This record gives sequence, structure tokens and C-alpha cells, in this order.
Amino acid sequence: MKKLSVVVAGSGQIRDVEIEPGTTAGDLLQQLNLSDYLLSRGPNEPFFAASESAYDKVRDGEKIFASTKAEVGDVVWA
Amino acid sequence: MGMRNLGTRPAPASVRAFIMRVARGHAPLVAVLRREIPYWQERGWRRAKNRYAGSYQTRYGAFEGWIEEDAFGRAKFYVYNPPQAVRHDAHWACFTPRGSDWFMVHMGKRPNDVSSGIMTIERLITEAHER
Repeated sequence: MKKLSVVVAGSGQIRDVEIEPGTTAGDLLQQLNLSDYLLSRGPNEPFFAASESAYDKVRDGEKIFASTKAEVGDVVWA
Repeated sequence: MGMRNLGTRPAPASVRAFIMRVARGHAPLVAVLRREIPYWQERGWRRAKNRYAGSYQTRYGAFEGWIEEDAFGRAKFYVYNPPQAVRHDAHWACFTPRGSDWFMVHMGKRPNDVSSGIMTIERLITEAHER
């Protein structure tokens, strides 16, 4: 088991969780009711894929971020 | 083997201070509360009404920016003098010039909150440097 703190970027709310080996990022988001969010270790790190094992990616006691999906794209002709 | 007594002298101040600390014991534990603040605030952005000013912070540098939120909570993100790596990146077309080297960053999919938008732009800058 690993403990981690999920920080919801928009509110700053911290959700403490304990995960078992094999827990995916998707499992975490679903159980935290953050389905429109993505997890990452920070803005300098890539997002976890939903099927990726969060357990293998984080250290015990680590703080990770949940941020809403956003994408830079499409040219705006102003 | 013989021994010669050379007399006594006071212990150095650092040693005496250490012994005093040990003799006093531990101070009571103080619970330190975690700050639950939005990411924009944690990263030092300042807010005045519907405008935020601060910098997009990456391991490749910090880049000045500001954000304007409309009445519906939709935010527009601006960055000053984006780095060369971004200017040569495929996403450069999404940066619309706004004069004096300020650029508006167009979001194809808007973030739900300002903090997520800041993280998106910080990630974009980082990825542009690493591509």
C-alpha cells in the first residue's frame, strides 16, 4: 500500500488516499469523483494515462496534482 | 603505558549547548497544518477582481503572464515574450500576438479553472523545450 495526497489544482483541496498495487490513474480519478480531471506529478511532468498504474509511478507519501483537461490548439484569427 | 594529566578546561560552547538541549528534552510536538490553496495562489499569482498576474514557472524559466476571466468563468491566458522553443513548436500557431510581445494562448479545450490553465501552459512550455 502507498499513501498519496491528490491536490485538486483549482481549489487546492487535498484528498488523502491509500492505494494498492495495480491501482490505475483512472481508478483514482473515478473513486475521487474527478472524472473530468487528469493526474500528474506536476506541470513539468506528463499526465498519467488512465490505464497507467499510478501505484508504480508515485512514491509513498507523494503529492500529485489533479487538473482539468485543457488543450492548446486551433488558431484564432483575431 | 603512562598517562600525563594536562589539567582541565571548559568544553567548547557548541558542546555545552548540545548537552543543555539533551538535558532539556524535546519540545512538545507542533502540528503543522497543510495549506489548501489553489495552484495559482501557490505559484505566487496575484488576483485583482477578474485579472490574475504572475508567471508560468517551468524548469526552463519563468515567463510573465496574465489571465482575464469573464463573467462566465472563461479565462483568456496571455504570456509575455514566449521562449524560442515555443516559437518553433507546432503549437506556436495557437499564440496570437496582442502587441508589445504579448501573446494570447488559444485553448482548443478550455480548462475549467485558472489553475488548470496555468498548468497546461507550463506543461506546453516544458514539452516544447524537450521535443
